[in-house]
Amino acid sequence: MRDLLRKEIKLSSSPLSFFFILFGSMFLLPGYPILCGVFFVTLGIFQSFQTAREANDLVFSALLPIAKRDVVKGKYLFVCFIEGCALLLMAAAVLLRMTVFLDSPVYRSNALMNANGFALGAAFFIFGLFNRIFVAGFFKTAYKFARPFLTYIITAFLTVCAAEALHHFPALGALNAFGTEQLGLQLGLLGAGIISYVLMTALSCAKACRRFERIDL
Amino acid sequence: MSIVEVQDLVKRYPAFTLQDVSFRVDAGRITGFIGRNGAGKTTTIKSMLNLIHPDGGSVSYFGKPLSGNETEIKKHIGYSTGAVNWYPRRRIRDIADIVKRFYDTWDDGAYRKYLELFHLEEDKTPLELSEGMKVKFNLMLALSHRAEVLILDEPTSGLDPFSRSELLDVFADLREEGVAVFFSTHIISDIEKCADDIVYISGGRIAAAMPREDFAARFSEAGETLEDTMLRLERGGDHA
Repeated sequence: MRDLLRKEIKLSSSPLSFFFILFGSMFLLPGYPILCGVFFVTLGIFQSFQTAREANDLVFSALLPIAKRDVVKGKYLFVCFIEGCALLLMAAAVLLRMTVFLDSPVYRSNALMNANGFALGAAFFIFGLFNRIFVAGFFKTAYKFARPFLTYIITAFLTVCAAEALHHFPALGALNAFGTEQLGLQLGLLGAGIISYVLMTALSCAKACRRFERIDL
Repeated sequence: MSIVEVQDLVKRYPAFTLQDVSFRVDAGRITGFIGRNGAGKTTTIKSMLNLIHPDGGSVSYFGKPLSGNETEIKKHIGYSTGAVNWYPRRRIRDIADIVKRFYDTWDDGAYRKYLELFHLEEDKTPLELSEGMKVKFNLMLALSHRAEVLILDEPTSGLDPFSRSELLDVFADLREEGVAVFFSTHIISDIEKCADDIVYISGGRIAAAMPREDFAARFSEAGETLEDTMLRLERGGDHA
């Protein structure tokens, strides 16, 4: 698997996938819908799928001495690697806003979503949607990606809108907690996001493997 | 010794059917797979590499079915085609550096040897190579991991006569080393020059699979070259 990840990084990927990891630092932006940063990271990953398709990467990989399903696992590994890097950046931004910048006026007067455990959990959830909708959808044909990407864009933006709107409901104000306020709730929502990410990724990977086995390349 | 056995392979497409394709490829022999465009050569080769799923039949290597032994078997197979451009903007050096990690049989000496023999420059990208040089690049990758069987889809297409001759000499050298070479082509003179066995496919069916001498004895008329014979067979559909 390490060799497959190396192949993905060195041969199949677009440099944009790596540059766009930096959008994870949008979690530091005040007055901006921070979850859009998650979308931009996935846009960078999408570029790698385009690059790989143009380079006949899937056929090349399927000819290597690996099982056909491992080609799919390699692709998921790369996607999770980029998402993991972005999530680390987002987590660092969340920690900074929960501690060092806790009382910063620009963040306190921010009408939009605060960067906290809930926001990070939502980021996990959106990455899970990308893996479930786009990556698994791509492996339905291993060629067409317009429909799965469009479906993902719509779903992701509805999710961003919902996450941004929720804390404005009086009963859900705790979702926008600052610092260690509502820590149990924040950690619980972060945990829920992680679980949804793991489930969506694992289940969609298994499905994509089955689909790819049946595809004629 | 039979290295590859293709048995009753069937693949149905809406407008074409590969029907009951059977043949074998032996160690230390060069097998030419001949047929006109659209006869089913690439479909057969893709089935042999598990790139497409046959509707029936089986492919086995070294006595083991490909299905279920894919990873192990692929370590001993080399594949090359002139039709596909892998990673057009990556340097040859970088592509080779990745590929070598998947083969414990990778031979850096062989890599250097074929790099020199084929006049390939490591810092070039496939995009900068001519069609013929792309074939050589693909072939170099296949040869560098000491494959015991080489499956080559139209390897001589697009090559100039000198390069084709060089390539056929390489096939002959590999035969001496016991490698089984299976190559598809529609250039009949290539078969005449180096093939020990002929697998002739026409309209999705194997019309003949036998040693070249037997093929000539059975199908050629007096004074005919192999090319004359093939053209007559294709025009007349007389393959029985």
